[in-house]
Amino acid sequence: MSQLVPAIGFGLITASILAIAAVGFTLQFSVTNILNLAYGDVMTASAFAAYIANHAGVDIWLSLLMAALFGAVFSMLLNRFVYFQFVRRGTRLFGMIIVTIAMSLIIQNVLLAVFRPTFFSYEVSASASYTFAGMILTGSQLAIMGIAVVAMVSVHLLSTRTRLGKAMRATATNPGLARSCGVATDRVIDVAWLLSGALCGIAGVVLVLNTATFSEVTGANFLVPIIAAAVLGGIGQPYGAMLGAVTIGLASEVAASVINPSYKDVVAFAILIVVLLVRPQGILSEVASGKEVAA
Amino acid sequence: MPTSSADEAGRPMPHLLVDGLSAGYGGAPIVHEASARAGLGEIVTIVGPNGAGKSTFLKAVAGMIPALAGKVRLAGEDVTNMRANHLARRGLGYVPQVNDVFDTLTVADNLAMGGYLLKRNEIGERTEKVMEVFPALKRMLNRTASKLSGGERKMLAMARVLMLEPSLLVLDEPTSNLSADLSRVVLEEHVSRLGESGAAVLIVEQKAQAALAISDWAYVMAGGVIRISSAAGDLLARKDLAEVFLGRSTGDGEVPKAS
Ligand SMILES: Nc1ncnc2c1ncn2[C@@H]1O[C@H](COP(=O)(O)OP(=O)(O)OP(=O)(O)O)[C@@H](O)[C@H]1O
Ligand SMILES: [Mg+2]
Repeated sequence: MSQLVPAIGFGLITASILAIAAVGFTLQFSVTNILNLAYGDVMTASAFAAYIANHAGVDIWLSLLMAALFGAVFSMLLNRFVYFQFVRRGTRLFGMIIVTIAMSLIIQNVLLAVFRPTFFSYEVSASASYTFAGMILTGSQLAIMGIAVVAMVSVHLLSTRTRLGKAMRATATNPGLARSCGVATDRVIDVAWLLSGALCGIAGVVLVLNTATFSEVTGANFLVPIIAAAVLGGIGQPYGAMLGAVTIGLASEVAASVINPSYKDVVAFAILIVVLLVRPQGILSEVASGKEVAA
Repeated sequence: MPTSSADEAGRPMPHLLVDGLSAGYGGAPIVHEASARAGLGEIVTIVGPNGAGKSTFLKAVAGMIPALAGKVRLAGEDVTNMRANHLARRGLGYVPQVNDVFDTLTVADNLAMGGYLLKRNEIGERTEKVMEVFPALKRMLNRTASKLSGGERKMLAMARVLMLEPSLLVLDEPTSNLSADLSRVVLEEHVSRLGESGAAVLIVEQKAQAALAISDWAYVMAGGVIRISSAAGDLLARKDLAEVFLGRSTGDGEVPKAS
């Protein structure tokens, strides 16, 4: 019982990081129909971008913003110069998944070649700890939760209140019809890559802030819980991803404290598998709907 | 050789002019050198058997698939292979045969997307206007489009395209899934009203008799080729109508004489 309260604290932080990452991932997939398995590696690359800025003397929170920008531009260019080139030549869903796996390996190995095979960490000025109902949280951890809340509210307002958000949802369901309503879908898809890439970049930095050290595989190792969270809520549904993130985050941290820390990912996997067993149509209906890959 | 009625010369100036259009899906063309036109205020129907290439023809006109050969002119401007979003700005409204609404959006958001090119304050006004045409939609504004019945869906698809008041309407089977009564209402009231309001209307219809009855001009397409171009009334009056629709008869079939 005494371990449970701190575990819930950790769970909320993991949930915050997962929510940022999973909403970006699901947004990317729903608008572009590309299941980008290099997402975790773009997180890592963004974390390295923040690392370079941070070690050049930039404050970590400003470095985080720079990483968001890096993730946004990197993702958009990744689509324009790699993914779209395949889509244009007729590669579809499953072919594209292989292409994204290839990009994942390429990004990891480029990072490994540029940086050494070792662990890196940010320089964060020590901050006070705060105690809430038995949970001890550092200033950084509180900031991570705050960032997650701001990111979620922004995504919510953007997708429900703005023309752009509506155009993104319309493009996600029916790109052809969106075009015939006058939507410049190429532009909307660029924006979707920028936005999801920014979330991806932020997620990369906050993940590292929480784990303290990172290497070229940090983001890739986090991909399973991200996909689990996105699938749990119904892939393509931003609110589902938020819900999935909270479930997986809490469940995996509580499991880590009551069973064993090394079971974290096993729990994420287990939840993912149970969801796929109970609701296979959740993911299959999107995949098999036959809509064109819009890139 | 396509046959044509004598009064082709009496048709209005073409607003849409399609000349020798070929189109397909990456392989061999499915539509071969098809030509058709529609003037402002004119309702033009394309009929023909399943798989004739009617939808393919409309898709190429509406910028959904590339034209492999030929020209499409809209209001005098060459719009061949122009992307659909630019065509929308030039007044082309298109309702596809399938995937004709945004499934994951509510009815209200579907209409808002139809009015995407309007100013924010105009969307509400146009939504009101469009719902006067389809009052049944009023009760389901907050319903997700995927939960509509086949007929409700068609109504929404038609309402969505009317949001922009297009000068050229391209409708692929606007009455499929509608009850016989509602089909008649859609064709006789709404589509004809669109014609009367001065828009050029190009439709593909399975309910050929009903469609021809409200049309000014008709084309019969079979095997990817336009076989007949004729005044709608002349086509309706032909004795071998059923054969004609299947594209089997291209002769100038006798017009039945009043006895
Ligand atoms: N997306 C596609 N990819 C490949 N071939 C297609 C595609 N859509 C249609 N076709 C083929 O093109 C041919 C013409 O199809 P089209 O949809 O134009 O016919 P249609 O005249 O509209 O028929 P219907 O009255 O049944 O709607 C058919 O043989 C069809 O199989
Ligand atoms: Mg058709």
